[in-house]
Amino acid sequence: MPVAASAIYFLNLRGDVLINRLYRDDVGGNMVDAFRMHIMQTKELGTCPVRQIGGCSFFYMRISNVYIVIVVSSNANVACAFKFVVEAVALFKSYFGGAFDEDAIRNNFVLIYELLDEIMDFGYPQNLSPEILKLYITQEGVRSPFSSKSSDKPVPNATLQVTGAVGWRREGLVYKKNEVFLDIVESVNLLMSSKGSVLRCDVTGKILMKCFLSGMPDLKLGLNDKIGLEKESQLKSRPAKSGKTIELDDVTFHQCVNLTRFNSEKTVSFVPPDGEFELMKYRITEGVNLPFRVLPTIKELGRTRMEVNVKVKSVFGAKMFALGVVIKIPVPKQTAKTSFQVTSGRAKYQASIDCLVWKIRKFPGQTEPTLSAEVELISTMAEKKSWTRPPIQMEFQVPMFTASGLRVRFLKVWEKSGYNTVEWVRYITKAGSYEIRC
Amino acid sequence: MSMHGMRGLSVFISEIRNCQNKEQERLRIDKELGNVRNRFKNEKGLTPYEKKKYVWKMLYIYMLGYDVDFGHMEAVSLISAPKYPEKQVGYIVTSCLLNENHDFLRLAINTVRNDIIGRNETFQCLALTMVGNIGGREFAESLAPDVQKLLLSSSCRPLVRKKAALCLLRLYRKNPDIVNVDGWADRMAQLLDERDLGVLTSSMSLLVALASNNHEVYWSCLPKCVKILERLARNQDVPQEYTYYGIPSPWLQVKTMRALQYFPTIEDPNTRRTLFEVLQRILMGTDVVKNVNKNNASHAVLFEALALVMHLDAEKEMMSQCVALLGKFIAVREPNIRYLGLENMTRMLMVTDVQEIIKRHQAQIITSLKDPDVSIRRRALDLLYGMCDVTNAKDIVEELLQYLSSADFTMREELSLKAAILAEKFAPDLSWYVDVILQLIDKAGDFISDDIWFRVVQFVTNNDDLQPYAAAKVKEYLDKSAVHETMVKVSAYILGEYSHLLARRPGCSPKEIFSLLHEKLPTVSTTTIPILLSAYAKILMHTQPPDQELQSQIWSIFNKYESCIDAEIQQRAVEYLALCQRGAALMDILAEMPKFPERKSSLIKRTEYSEGDTAEQSAIKLRAQQQTSNALVVTDQHPANGATSPVPVGQLSLVKVPSMITTENDTSTDHPLSQQNGALSNVDPQPPSADLLSDILGPLAIEGPPGATVQSEHNAVSGLEGGSDAADGSAIVPVDEQTNTVQPIGNIAERFHALCLKDSGVLYEDPYIQIGIKAEWRGHHGRLVLFLGNKNTAPLVSVQAIILPPAHLKVELSLVPDTIPPRAQVQCPLEVVNLRPSRDMAVLDFSYKFGTNMVNVKLRLPATLNKFLQPIQVPAEEFFSQWRSLSGPPLKLQEVIRGIRPMPLPEMANLLNSFRIMNCPGLDPNPNNLVASTTFYSESRPAMLCLVRIETDPADRTQLRMTLASGDPTLTFELKEFIKEQLISIPTAPRSPAPPAAQPTPQIPPNDPAAILAGLLS
Repeated sequence: MPVAASAIYFLNLRGDVLINRLYRDDVGGNMVDAFRMHIMQTKELGTCPVRQIGGCSFFYMRISNVYIVIVVSSNANVACAFKFVVEAVALFKSYFGGAFDEDAIRNNFVLIYELLDEIMDFGYPQNLSPEILKLYITQEGVRSPFSSKSSDKPVPNATLQVTGAVGWRREGLVYKKNEVFLDIVESVNLLMSSKGSVLRCDVTGKILMKCFLSGMPDLKLGLNDKIGLEKESQLKSRPAKSGKTIELDDVTFHQCVNLTRFNSEKTVSFVPPDGEFELMKYRITEGVNLPFRVLPTIKELGRTRMEVNVKVKSVFGAKMFALGVVIKIPVPKQTAKTSFQVTSGRAKYQASIDCLVWKIRKFPGQTEPTLSAEVELISTMAEKKSWTRPPIQMEFQVPMFTASGLRVRFLKVWEKSGYNTVEWVRYITKAGSYEIRC
Repeated sequence: MSMHGMRGLSVFISEIRNCQNKEQERLRIDKELGNVRNRFKNEKGLTPYEKKKYVWKMLYIYMLGYDVDFGHMEAVSLISAPKYPEKQVGYIVTSCLLNENHDFLRLAINTVRNDIIGRNETFQCLALTMVGNIGGREFAESLAPDVQKLLLSSSCRPLVRKKAALCLLRLYRKNPDIVNVDGWADRMAQLLDERDLGVLTSSMSLLVALASNNHEVYWSCLPKCVKILERLARNQDVPQEYTYYGIPSPWLQVKTMRALQYFPTIEDPNTRRTLFEVLQRILMGTDVVKNVNKNNASHAVLFEALALVMHLDAEKEMMSQCVALLGKFIAVREPNIRYLGLENMTRMLMVTDVQEIIKRHQAQIITSLKDPDVSIRRRALDLLYGMCDVTNAKDIVEELLQYLSSADFTMREELSLKAAILAEKFAPDLSWYVDVILQLIDKAGDFISDDIWFRVVQFVTNNDDLQPYAAAKVKEYLDKSAVHETMVKVSAYILGEYSHLLARRPGCSPKEIFSLLHEKLPTVSTTTIPILLSAYAKILMHTQPPDQELQSQIWSIFNKYESCIDAEIQQRAVEYLALCQRGAALMDILAEMPKFPERKSSLIKRTEYSEGDTAEQSAIKLRAQQQTSNALVVTDQHPANGATSPVPVGQLSLVKVPSMITTENDTSTDHPLSQQNGALSNVDPQPPSADLLSDILGPLAIEGPPGATVQSEHNAVSGLEGGSDAADGSAIVPVDEQTNTVQPIGNIAERFHALCLKDSGVLYEDPYIQIGIKAEWRGHHGRLVLFLGNKNTAPLVSVQAIILPPAHLKVELSLVPDTIPPRAQVQCPLEVVNLRPSRDMAVLDFSYKFGTNMVNVKLRLPATLNKFLQPIQVPAEEFFSQWRSLSGPPLKLQEVIRGIRPMPLPEMANLLNSFRIMNCPGLDPNPNNLVASTTFYSESRPAMLCLVRIETDPADRTQLRMTLASGDPTLTFELKEFIKEQLISIPTAPRSPAPPAAQPTPQIPPNDPAAILAGLLS
């Protein structure tokens, strides 16, 4: 396995070191100064996540108000390093009860040191699974008062868990009420030309589960995806049901999914870990249902005036509605005065991001609110470069709607005691980078 | 004051300061800029208070480094506000945000002018400060007269006049062509009568700037300056606020003395005496004290006084006093003071007669060489180098050698170079010189450049009595165990040439010498092996009778290297082996090396290069140039290093003649680079004395502008003088009217101009001789052939041709025969190598005797700058990228040239093409413009692309604007001047000179060599 890190640093936005851990001594202790000097204090911050300075490579990413920097001096596996960081952050979040920021680090630094020791050894990533680590790193993080998990669990046999066949689940769990929650969360990425033709469009989705089940249950999930349906119709030797089938690309499963069964029977069957986990991830590039259409017209009237007209059309069912819709319409930097007329929601000019921001809290389906704005520009000294017209950006959430059309056909739970379970299924579609050129 | 009560502003600033990181700050600022934009766009307009507040905010944001590209209008409009706080912010923000080229400034000019001529003093001050800070051209045009008036006005308070003086100074510095200073001499003199020291200090700065450009007009100010100095020195009437640590206004003192240095001398004896009294007082009154600030001030005054003393060539007593004072300085512990002492002592060396006094401090200076501070060590080295002469050379060089082994590595190269130069310059005897250089190589072999050992080899080769000594000496060094490679090179060369002279001595048999050299072979690099091989071949040749064993040994070595991968080694091995087997023929081929021609030491040339620093035109610098050019003439008169008494000019020829004939021992290193032709030693033993005199005066006469030949690389200033003079000078320089009774046929200048454009033609013609030229130019090399055609039936005798090349050309003329037979033509090839861009020209000094007529002409050779150009067609995108990358002076120069001969654009393009500057049509969209490109070749640098753009005015053809760009500042300047000269000085009919053969000289018979020559050349 390749090396992923020689050292890891956690910095705040000013560049102060919050916590660091050296895994190998091939990098100096003052490496973070180089990072601060050559990356943080220049304009290049945020342009490229991998930089090389003086023989060392710096991989960094920002999570809320913390920079996580990995320093290596050898030819490391960058993807592995970033995956490690992402997983480590997920681990910390599960320890701290949700939040990962500067304060959380300051409040939990003993725990973080302990975890850092455990999750990486001499630069090689180790077990990052929270379920397992929580078994033997029992020191509780300081939790924010909102998290409400009790912690009086019996200390189980760690070795069995680590070496056992079902490493992700303890035995002997008992719940009074057996419940399964399943969420399908999709985010839509779109780039549309000003004429309305789609330039790039895909959906990345994930299935999140929360299980409160007793014993060692076996679960089986059926989706309306193409392969699964075809296999089923083969097995049952009856024609596939009419209706839409979805072609999933790049499917990745949680480690609990039995892959041999998936390969042979094309069914997703698994023994779930206790609590919350991400069952699978997938991507869809064809047959995407776009929840919104945006029709912008932006006219530059001379050097000092602009007219902006934006119409947004919701194309999902009339009974559904979108929440938290934000439409950001870029305007030139020299914008001075703006006036708006909107048929719904509220709009204002935000100078710090050079955008007109139009917010609609609740957006019913099959409606088309419009915004028309007049923008006055101030004249400048600089020789006027023509404005580059960045794309309009959109944010939203549409509950009970999947852009891919994916549906859960069944979710079966089988346990030897044969208890009844309650299954809850939810769908939600969010905006990824939803951009419309104007 | 005005900030008071601006709550919004202070809240904003404190918010910015409280930002945790850059990103927050940027967000806050973008928000604020949006707010400011919104407010400025407000139809209802802003109250003056709001406007002021937002403009302050803009300034604060601008100061933080963000772009503020709007709101200039508001800032400028605030200037015309009636109240002080608004006016103040208007002025401050305008001078920060706008530069001199902004159009908005035009809107303000009128308001600013009103403020300047108004009655309100504070407004006047604000306006003057802003004008001074921006200093634009339009400001200078419209406001300079008002500022001048303000400066002279008696009704103004000193505060305003002070600012007016400084504002005027800035305008003058920026636009000397616009600010009219005619007739300012009297006003300046009047200003210097001022009692207020503040106004005086400012006016003095102005005077320094004015006098540095043209001192002659300001003579009347000179006594006033002295009076001011006297007043300050006596501490009369100096208010407390102008006294700094007990020193009356040191700034004014320094400036006044600086101003005085721009005047060449002081003629009035009274003034001179008074000034010397003052200087004496400064010299006496300065000492080293505890307080740093006081030291700084008093030393600044002192050093300026020293510079003035040097400038005025004060009497010896005062000089010695200065040196004594500096001697005290260099003994102080404080490093700053010691540094200054050493530096100023080095400067004092320019004044010739203080050297003796400085020598008294030699021991102290040598101690400074061991100072822990490297900059002090460098100063001490410079000083030692400068103060070295025949008397103390031995001590100093030995001291340097001793120091070499302990010096730090950064200094060693410079140290060894300087030691080598001193040893060469002032060697009491040559064996000592050889000793020193060998020691140098031994101690600091890594830092010895090739030039140093080349030089010692030259000396040894040229001096027969030195050869055995040198050979014995290098053998001693070789006997040591560890020897540096440079030492191996030197000893291989010397032992190869001269080891046979030692053959009788014990341990010096050819075999032993060979084995001594051969044991070094495995340790050396490929550059040394060829030298060793040559040495072996020579040893073998000198071994008489032949030693079979040695022969077989050496042959086997040659055999081994016959297949060496290095071409040089292989070639030598093959050739030597073949030669050795020839036996007797070897003796001729491997005979002793001939003596080297005497030439200027390349070492000294090197130091000249390294000394050329920024061309700052300060008084001291000018002075230094005068000094060096004087020094040049002086050493030229001296036959060799020894003579110190000045030689009367009348005896010049008598002194010079022997030194020219016995060139071998002449170590006078500043000898001008005149190349004698090979016939020199065969000169008629009884030449007419006038001829000799002209010969010797020749180089001096040509070199009219100081340093044009030797020092043209020194800086652009002398190049400028030299260039313009050379262009104006006619082609023929009559040295002695009486001897030149022969009239040339045709216009020499015209012939020269024609030859600038083509490569062959007639350079000169008179009734007796015709000189034709045919040239081939390739890159930086040129091959010219001079065709000397005798037109008569009698021979031309005492023919002599000497090339006086400028510093940028290396010219070698082959042997010119002493006589040209009747009706014969002689060809003399001439090799030219271009080293650097320059417009100076090589001059051919040609003389011959016909009957009793002695004819001497000096002809410019058409080895002009354009000959080293190679036309090149540059594609548009490359042209533009190059054009853009070469921005601004000194790489890109622009000039408006007036008074050129009007010509249509195609003709100009043709002219440029004939100068090998290729017109690139279609690059410039404007049909009145012309774009051209070429490449310039010189030895010192790779081929250099030059780009030319000429913008003509269709309405006025006599002027145009030319822009020239290239990668070399000198090249840009020289080429620009060259083209300019050509555009202005085109002879009225350059294309219609009658062909020389068709000239009305009907007597020429058909077999006339001149006609043949013309036929050959046409």
